[in-house]
Amino acid sequence: MSRVSIQIFLGSLMILATTLVMVFYGLNEEQRMEDTRKAVQARSIEEGAALFEQQCSRCHGTQGTGIPGLCPPLNDRYFFDQRLTDIGWSSTLEDYIVSTASSGRLTSTRPETYPGQGIPAMPSFSDQFGGPLRVDQIRNIAAFILNWESTAELVEVPSAPSGPPVGADISKELPAGDPANGEALTLSLGCQACHVTTPTGPAWPPTADQPGIGERAATRIDQADYTGNAVNPEQYLFESIVQPNAYLVSGYAEGLMPGNYADTLTDQDMADLIAYLLTVK
Amino acid sequence: MIKSLNMQDLRQKLSGAIDNRVRIITAGMSVDEIRAVLRGDPPTERPNPRYKVHTTSFIFHIRPRYYEAGSTVFTHTFRLGFFTSFFFFLELFTGLILMIYYTPSPERAYTSILNLISAVPFGQLLRDLHRLGAEGMVIFTALHMLRTFLTGSYKKDRTFTWLTGVVLLGITMFLSFSGYLLPWDQLAYWAVTVGTSMAEAAPLVGNQLNLLLRGAPDIAADGLLRFYLIHVVLLPLAAVLVISIHYYKVSREHGISLPASIDDGDASPEVTRAAKQRIDFIPDLLTHEVFLVSVGLLILILSVTVFGYHAPLESVANPQSTPLDTEAPWYFWWLQGMLKLGDKTLMGIIIPTIIVLLLVGVPYIDRNPYRSLYRRPFAVGIGIFSVLALVVLSYMGTPQYGIETDAATRIVQDLAPEEGTGPLHTVPFDQLQPGVYVVNESPTQGLCPGLDFGCPELEKAFNLYSQWINTAVEQGKLPDVEAVLVIDAWQKDLVKVTPRIVWSDAGQRKTYEKNVYLHRERGSE
Repeated sequence: MSRVSIQIFLGSLMILATTLVMVFYGLNEEQRMEDTRKAVQARSIEEGAALFEQQCSRCHGTQGTGIPGLCPPLNDRYFFDQRLTDIGWSSTLEDYIVSTASSGRLTSTRPETYPGQGIPAMPSFSDQFGGPLRVDQIRNIAAFILNWESTAELVEVPSAPSGPPVGADISKELPAGDPANGEALTLSLGCQACHVTTPTGPAWPPTADQPGIGERAATRIDQADYTGNAVNPEQYLFESIVQPNAYLVSGYAEGLMPGNYADTLTDQDMADLIAYLLTVK
Repeated sequence: MIKSLNMQDLRQKLSGAIDNRVRIITAGMSVDEIRAVLRGDPPTERPNPRYKVHTTSFIFHIRPRYYEAGSTVFTHTFRLGFFTSFFFFLELFTGLILMIYYTPSPERAYTSILNLISAVPFGQLLRDLHRLGAEGMVIFTALHMLRTFLTGSYKKDRTFTWLTGVVLLGITMFLSFSGYLLPWDQLAYWAVTVGTSMAEAAPLVGNQLNLLLRGAPDIAADGLLRFYLIHVVLLPLAAVLVISIHYYKVSREHGISLPASIDDGDASPEVTRAAKQRIDFIPDLLTHEVFLVSVGLLILILSVTVFGYHAPLESVANPQSTPLDTEAPWYFWWLQGMLKLGDKTLMGIIIPTIIVLLLVGVPYIDRNPYRSLYRRPFAVGIGIFSVLALVVLSYMGTPQYGIETDAATRIVQDLAPEEGTGPLHTVPFDQLQPGVYVVNESPTQGLCPGLDFGCPELEKAFNLYSQWINTAVEQGKLPDVEAVLVIDAWQKDLVKVTPRIVWSDAGQRKTYEKNVYLHRERGSE
């Protein structure tokens, strides 16, 4: 055979092989596109999770369970099932989330239970309205929030304090506290929405490198950098709850914790909480 | 009526008509001639109809009628120039289709790429081919130039061809570089930010040049549009023009060079005579080229399907966050390496300009008339030295060289890079069991007693993490270290992994931690 015919033969074989590979590749194309769509959605949720932690968790809680008396829960059955009907939103929930997060809220729709930060109740997050986020980032946050849909449970709206509020004076004389009731309060008040640093529970038990909150409360007030006014562990915990900015543990920013507990807790609630936290050594 | 219809007459008329039609289509070759070509027989008519094609057809008139046998030796050219133009046409073809799905605006660019790979049949294949073709074109252009230098083919009549070749090398690199920005991901954004900041170093006009290129102090909508237009209009047009000039010189003026031994007069008369024998374009060279194209296509298609080459795509560009390991495209690493050696203006502008001038001047500086490797040791020495220097500089240009990153940051970045895939990303989702894993305390085996088959991949990643921590401790970088890997079940099909490193530094406890969210379907295995 001449060189020309060998090359024609081999060339034809290779073009045939190329075609066959393309056909097999094409057969799997639907599946590949589907997998890519899923991967794109997964990355969107991952990115949204990080952004939610940075931008939203301060008010809505790290797990989206909201902060009673401040911001509504999003990881909430009501939010997924009933919210759109209640406010008469005709489009999708994703659009609702994107729209609200983009433009914020001038005033709260539920000022009685979730007044937000005042006016505006919620700042605008879109960079089109002076916020920090691009629209694709807000869509990622929406993807993250929507991923709660299948697991969300109904978050109970906590009842108003049953007596006069405790106020911000930490030297106040408190009644005797009940630790068991205090522990129940940490759940119903949603403290664990933010105070979670371990996968197994709240932030106050002892961890590998530091003792529990009861022990910490006793040693903090003697530290050189302590800037608050408490003179004993009870007052330190009292102060930390009603005046969260009086002393900041290094590594935490100012204004992370809502400042409204002086108005939403009763004397008895406060006593119970302190009693419970002091037992966690 | 039937009587008058003569079958033989009809057949003759019909074949005459067909033959005529075929001659028009093939620009001069009859049916019999095509048969002869395919069989490898000599021409059927005189004058040779195979040459007639070269005068009547436009495509064939720009191709030569023959090459000299000596210049077609594979080990003389390695077909590098041919494959460079093969890649160029591949880029034109795939690029034109990709343009249909692309929108050059920061809001839409990244989404249009996601749409291309997730909703367009063969979309990812096209993108992979386009990217691979771009890499191939840069590699083959450089190799083609190196070959031309080593065989001394830039001498005498070919000096101008060499000059156009240098211009084409520049065009190719900038074609590739301008396409880098278009996906608008972190990789693109920061590579181009690093690249264009070089222009800033130019004396006097630096700021204006940078502004002209980026469209604003930072790359944004205007910059993207400029790079897009440079990539799809300006540079391709320039490339077509210069390639035409380059190719015209080769095909019409001086042909492909013969091996040095023949030009230098070292070969015997018989060998020289054999080397100067003509090989006709039709059918020999044409067949060979089609053969090479089928080889090229097969290799390309296998690379992007069976061997799984994929064009990289990182997360969407974020001007507010600079990734830890920012780097230029690999063919500019040598430049990054030089920038680490000294002043930005000297290393980034003046020396590269000198290098380009030297490249342009090669045929005029090198007055040695001989082409054989052995008769020009000085030139060959400089060539080899330049290649070695490029390799060393390129190594120095990678982010791993000469940039000290804080040990804890480095370890966490290696475990779970911001972009791309690290050991943590390859752990299957089901093995990411919630828990606190403490370095040097948690067991190195049997980390997940709750799983029937254990979690070998998680153990592998965790042990790697422990190993890096312990190495850093041995080097004295992380005194009194406490390192944990915390895994929280965060949401349905989503875990939050937090590597946290606490160490002592100047009497204080320092903490470095990063939250990594991993979804079940993220698809990085």
